[in-house]
Amino acid sequence: MTQKSSGFFNWINARLPIVNTYERHLSKHPVPKKVNFWYMFGALASVVLIIQIVSGIWLMFGYENTEEGAFASIEYIMRDIEYGWIIRYMHTTGASMFFAVVYLHMFRGLLYGSYHKPRELVWVFGMTIYLVMMAEGFLGYVLPYGQMSYWGAQVIISLFGAIPYIGESLEIWVRGDYYISGATISRFFALHVVALPLILIALVFMHLVALHEVGAGNPEGVDIEKHIDENGVPLDSVPFFPYKVLNALVAIGIFGIVFSIIMFFFPEGGGYMLELANFEEANPLSTPEHIAPVWYYSPYYAMLRAVPDKLGGLVVMGAAIAILFVVPWLDRSKAASIRYKGILSKIAMTIFIISWLMLAWLGTVPVTALRTTLSIIGTVIYFAFFLLMPIYTSIEKTKPVPERL
Amino acid sequence: MKKTLLLAFLFFGSMESMAAVGAPCGDYGECDTFKPELNNMESLQLGALTFINHCYGCHSLKYSRWGRVSEDLDIPEDIFIDNLVFGTNVKLGDRMMGSMKPAVSETWFGIAPPDLTLVTRLHGSDWVYSYLRTFYEDSSKPYGVNNMVYPGAAMPNALASLQGQQILSCKDIPIIASNGGVRRDEFGNDITEKKCGYLKTIEGSGSLSVQEFDEVIFNLVNFMTYIGEPSRSDRERMGWYAILFFVVFTSFAYLLFREYQKDYH
Ligand code: HEM
Repeated sequence: MTQKSSGFFNWINARLPIVNTYERHLSKHPVPKKVNFWYMFGALASVVLIIQIVSGIWLMFGYENTEEGAFASIEYIMRDIEYGWIIRYMHTTGASMFFAVVYLHMFRGLLYGSYHKPRELVWVFGMTIYLVMMAEGFLGYVLPYGQMSYWGAQVIISLFGAIPYIGESLEIWVRGDYYISGATISRFFALHVVALPLILIALVFMHLVALHEVGAGNPEGVDIEKHIDENGVPLDSVPFFPYKVLNALVAIGIFGIVFSIIMFFFPEGGGYMLELANFEEANPLSTPEHIAPVWYYSPYYAMLRAVPDKLGGLVVMGAAIAILFVVPWLDRSKAASIRYKGILSKIAMTIFIISWLMLAWLGTVPVTALRTTLSIIGTVIYFAFFLLMPIYTSIEKTKPVPERL
Repeated sequence: MKKTLLLAFLFFGSMESMAAVGAPCGDYGECDTFKPELNNMESLQLGALTFINHCYGCHSLKYSRWGRVSEDLDIPEDIFIDNLVFGTNVKLGDRMMGSMKPAVSETWFGIAPPDLTLVTRLHGSDWVYSYLRTFYEDSSKPYGVNNMVYPGAAMPNALASLQGQQILSCKDIPIIASNGGVRRDEFGNDITEKKCGYLKTIEGSGSLSVQEFDEVIFNLVNFMTYIGEPSRSDRERMGWYAILFFVVFTSFAYLLFREYQKDYH
C-alpha cells in the first residue's frame, strides 16, 4: 500500500514540484535563529487573512446585497442562522484585529529597518497590501447598510468629488448612481468579496515569495547570509519546520486568547469596532449627529481634518500613505536596526511614535481649536520624520553592527 | 459642492463624544446604569409580557420571531400562544411585525413608531431604562407628557396606568461650600437654594409604587436587552470555553517550543 501510494506520489512529484516547493518554502526554509515577538505578526496576519476569507464566505450564505434587504439580512445572520452570530463577530473582530496586527507588523519594519536592502520589494508589496486593506475595510463597512455605513460612504465617496475637473463624474462612476443606492451596494459587494480579496491573496503571495528569495531579517540587522555552511545554509539560521512553526503556534495561541476575549465579551469594542449608530438602518433623509470613522483609519482622519481645504486634506492624506512606500530609499543609515542607529534616529522614532498615537486619538474625538492645532503639529511631525530621514540617518554616528547573530 | 463640503465637515468634525452635545441622557444628565440579567427567566418572561401588553400595539420587533422568544424564555408553546400571541393567524415562525399598520400610526403620531428590536443596542440599555422612567406631565405636549431623556418624544407614557402621574418638582438643596461642607448661616442652619427639575410621582395616581414600577421597567428593559441580541448569554457562556481552549493550546505549544529551543541555544 505504502509502496503503491509513494509510487503515485513520485509520479505526481515528477510532474509537479511538491516536495521541492514544500522544502524550499516551508520545511527547510532557513529562518534567523534569534528573533523576538515582533516577528510573529506576519504569521498572525496570515492567520487573520484566513479567518476573514472563511468567515466572509459563510457570511455570504446569508447576506443580501440589496438596498431593501441588506440590513435585515445581517440580523437574519445574527438570529436565524445557527451560530451565525459567531461567524459575524469573527468577521467584524477579525477586521479590527487584521489592522491591529498589520500596524504592529509595519511598525516592526520601521523599528528594525526590515525594508533595508535587499528587502525593499518585500516592503513595497507590504505597503500595497496595506493600501488594498484600507479599501477592503471601507467597502465591507458599507455592506450592512446601517446609518453609519450610509453616511460614511457618502462622505468618503464625496472626497472623489474634490478632485479637479473629473471629480464629479468620478463620484458618480464610483457610486454607480447619483446617490448611494442598491447599485452602490451591489458593486461594493462584488469588490469586497471577489475583486479585492483576490488581489490581496496575490499580493500576500508575492510578499512571501519575495521575502523567501532574500531571506528574513532579524532585530540585530545582521546579514546572516555572510556566514554559511558547506550547503549554503546560513550558520545563524534554523529550519522553519519544526522550530519556527512552534514559535508561531505559541503566538497563535496567545492571539487566540486575545481574539476570544474581544469577540465573545466586547464584540462592539466600545463602539470603535461596531459603531452603535450602525444598529439602525440607513436613512438617507436623516444625517446622524455624529459621523465617525472606525478606529483604524483615525490617524488619517486627524490629518484630513487638520487641513481646512478638502482637496488639500485629500492630498495630505494620500501623501501620508504614499510616503511610506519610499521609506526604503529615505533611510540612508548603515545600520538597519534601531539598536545600532544613532541618537538622532532614536529621538526621531520616539517623537514619531508619540505623535502617531496622538493623531490616532485625535481622529476619534470632536474637534476643538486646540485639537486642530495638535492635529496640524502631529501631521507636520509625521511628514518631518520621513522627509528628514535622509538627513538624520546619514549624518548621525551608528554603532558597529555585529557579524553574527 | 457646498453640500459635499458641509458633509465632509460634518464627517470629520463630528466624531463627537456625547458630552459635546449634552449629557447622554438629555435633561436627565447621566443615565441610570442598567445591569441586564439575561439568565433570569422570570424577569425576561415578565418583561416580554409587559412589552406585548403595553408596547407591541405600536412598536414591532420585526427582526425577531415568536418561536425563538418562546424557546429562549422557556415559555411552553401553548401558554405562549394563549398569553402573548394575540393574532389568530400568527405562526410561531413568523416575525413579530407589530399590530399597527405603519400608515395608520403615522397619521396618529406624526411619525411611525420605530421598530424596537435593536433599540437597546443603538442607544444602550442604560438609556432605554432611564427613558422609560422619566416621563412627566407637560400640558403643552400633545399627549400631556414630555420626557427628560428624550425631550419632545412623540410618544405617550405607555405605562402611565401603572406609574401614575409624574411631575417636575422643585427642592431646597443645601449649598455646598468650597471646603466641601454644607454652608450654614450664623445660627448654624443650612443655607439652601431652590432647584427645580426633579421627578416626583403623585402618590396614589398609579397602580404601582415607585419601587414596583422600577421593577416592571427593569424586567421590560431586560427583555429588550435580550431581544437586541438573543445570543448574548450563549456568547458570554461560550467565550469562557474558547478562552480555556486557547490557554491550554498555548501552554502545550509553549512547552513544546521550550523543548525544541534547546536544540539551537
Ligand atoms: C495581509 C497582510 C500581510 C501578511 C499576511 C504578511 C505576511 C508576512 C509574513 C508571514 C512575513 C514573515 C514573518 C515576519 O517577519 O513577521 C512578513 C514579513 C515582512 N512583511 Fe509582511 N505581511 C502583511 C502585510 C505587510 C505590510 C502592510 C507591510 C509593510 C508595509 C509588510 C512588510 C513586511 C516586511 C518588510 C517583512 C520582512 C521582515 C523581515 O524579514 O525582517 N507586510 N510578512
